[in-house]
Amino acid sequence: MQFYLPVAEMSANVLVFLAMGGAVGFLSGLFGVGGGFLMTPLLIFSGIPPAVAVGTESAQITASSVSGALAQWRRRNIDFMMGSVLLAGGILGSVAGVALVGSLRRLGIFDFFVSICYVTFLGVIGALMLIESANTMRKARRGTPTSARRPGQHFWVHGLPLKVRFQRSKLYISAIPPFVIGLFVGLLAAIMGVGGGFIMIPAMIYLLRVPTNVVVGTSLFQIVFVTAATTMLHASQNQTVDVVLAVLLMAGGVVGAQIGAAAGERLKAEQLRFLLAALVLMVGLRFAWQLISTPTDVFSIAAPVGGA
Amino acid sequence: MHRPEGRRWTLGLLAMLSIGTLALGTGDTQAQRRQRPAPAPPVAKEAPHTRVEEIKREQQPGAKESVQADVSARSVAVTSSFNGIEIVIFGAVDNSQQPSAESGFYDVMIVVEGVPGRIVVRRKSNVAGLWLNTSAATFDLVPSYYAIASTRPIDEIASEEFRASHGVGFQHLRLTPAFGQTQALSTEDVEEYKRAIVRLKQKQGLYIQDNFSVAFIGRSLFRATIVLPANVTVGPFETRVYLFREEKLLSQYSVRLNLEREGLERHLHGFAFGYPTLYGLMTVAIAVAAGLIASTVFRKTAH
Repeated sequence: MQFYLPVAEMSANVLVFLAMGGAVGFLSGLFGVGGGFLMTPLLIFSGIPPAVAVGTESAQITASSVSGALAQWRRRNIDFMMGSVLLAGGILGSVAGVALVGSLRRLGIFDFFVSICYVTFLGVIGALMLIESANTMRKARRGTPTSARRPGQHFWVHGLPLKVRFQRSKLYISAIPPFVIGLFVGLLAAIMGVGGGFIMIPAMIYLLRVPTNVVVGTSLFQIVFVTAATTMLHASQNQTVDVVLAVLLMAGGVVGAQIGAAAGERLKAEQLRFLLAALVLMVGLRFAWQLISTPTDVFSIAAPVGGA
Repeated sequence: MHRPEGRRWTLGLLAMLSIGTLALGTGDTQAQRRQRPAPAPPVAKEAPHTRVEEIKREQQPGAKESVQADVSARSVAVTSSFNGIEIVIFGAVDNSQQPSAESGFYDVMIVVEGVPGRIVVRRKSNVAGLWLNTSAATFDLVPSYYAIASTRPIDEIASEEFRASHGVGFQHLRLTPAFGQTQALSTEDVEEYKRAIVRLKQKQGLYIQDNFSVAFIGRSLFRATIVLPANVTVGPFETRVYLFREEKLLSQYSVRLNLEREGLERHLHGFAFGYPTLYGLMTVAIAVAAGLIASTVFRKTAH
C-alpha cells in the first residue's frame, strides 16, 4: 500500500513505516528508552532525507513521551522544579539547534554533521554502557551488591552560584548544571532527532546525583516540551516535518511499545542494558561505515534550500 | 521510486481508445474527457482511413506531411496514492507517404520536458579518511524531468546542429551555472557537474532516453509511452514531437501536459509550506493527542 508523503515528497509503503514504528516502539518499550536514536537512523537509511527524518521524528517522540510522562506523573515521579530548569535550557538549545540545522543544510553538510554526531554519541554511550553492564553482570555473579548513586557526595558543579532547592530530588544545588544539561540535550534533540534521554538520564544520575526514581519522569517531562518545541521550529523554519510519516510512526510505535514493555519484564536489567549497548554500537558503526567507505557516486544533487 | 505495476491493461485500453478516436474523429478520448475539451483532433479529415488516404496519395503525391499529437492524459493528479504514471503519446502523420508501418519511412523524436529549475550539485571528497561534501555548484534551467523517445537512435535521425539548437539529447540540455557561485568554476568543472546532473537524474528515473520506443501502428499513426516516476516534480510538461525523413525536419508539434497535486496531498503540502507555524502546531497537537489516547487506552487494558 503506497502513500505519497507530502513533505518528504516521495512515495512510501505504509506498511513498511508502520512496521518500522512498531519495531522501534517494541525496542523502546523493552529497554525503556525513547527510541529516537534508532528511529532517525532507520528513516535516514530507508531514504527519507535526513532533515525530514530529524524533524518528523521529533513529532513522534513528543507522542511517545506524552504517554510516558503521564504514567510517571501519576506515580509522582516528576521533579517539576528540576524539570523546569532542564526545560528552560532545552528550549534555548532547541532554538539554536534548529537554526544550526538550517544553515548546515544551506552549506550542504547537514548529512555529514548528523552522521558525525551519531558516530560520536552512539560510540561513546554504547561503549560506556557495554562496559558498565558487563561489570554489573560480573559483579552480580560474584554476589557483590551495586548501587549507582552514592548520596551525600558532592561535586564542584554543585557548589556553583544560583542554588535552588529541588524538593522531589532532595537536592540543594546550583541551577546552572541542570540548565546546561538541558541546553545540550535541546541542541541534540534538534540536530539528531532524538529525545536526548540517553544523555540526560546518565547526566542526572552521575553529575547531579538525582535519585533514580525521579530521573526518568523528570527527563520525560523535559522531553515532551522540548520535542514539541523542536517540532514546531522545524516545521515553521525548515519545513521538514512530514505529518503523514509522523502519524504512521506514532501508530506503529504506540503498539510496539506496549508489547516491548511486557516483554521487558521477563529480562534482567543488566542483560537489557547489555543488549541495548550492542544495538547502540551497531547503529553507530553503520554511520561510521557511511563516512569512511568510498561512496558509489561522489556527486549528489538536491534542490536549493531556503531559496539560496 | 517504483515502477508502476499492472498498468499494462490501462495502457492497452488507452492506446485502443486513441486509435479509435483518431479513426473515428469523435474527439472523446479518456484524456480529453478528464479536462477541458481539447480542440477536435485535426486528423478528422483522414477519417474513413485507408482507402481515402490511398486515393489522396495517388492524387497529391507531393503534398507536404505534417504531424499532430496528443497525450493520453493532459492533466494528471498527484494524490496520496500517486506512485508514478505511464503516459501514452500518440500522433499521426498527415499525408503520410509511408507504404507500411514497418517501412521505417519516417522518423519520430518525442521530447518531454518538465519545468526548468535550480539545482545544487555537490561533490564529496575524502578529508582525513572521511567523505564529505567539499565543493558545490548551482545550476539554473535544469529540467525537473526530461525524456526522449524515438523510432531510432536520435543521432541517426537528426543532425548534431539540429539537436543542439532544439535541445534534444542529454548533452544539449541548456544547464547553466547560476550567477554568484560561492566557488569559482572552471570549464572542466562545469562539464563534470553537468555530466553528474544527467547521470544522477537518470539514476532517479527522471531523465530517460529510449531509442526505439516510438512505434508506427499504421501508415500514419504512431505511439510511444513514457514513465513519469513517483518522484517527479509537479508542474507543466512540454511535449515536443518532431517528424523526420532522411535527416530533414518535415513537421513538428507540441502539446502540454500538467501534473498537479490534488486532494489530501495538495492540502497537506500547501498547509506545510504555506502556513508552516500552524502546520507545526497541528502536528504537535496530533502528537499530544496520540500520546494521550495511547496512555488512556493502554491504562484501561493494563488494569
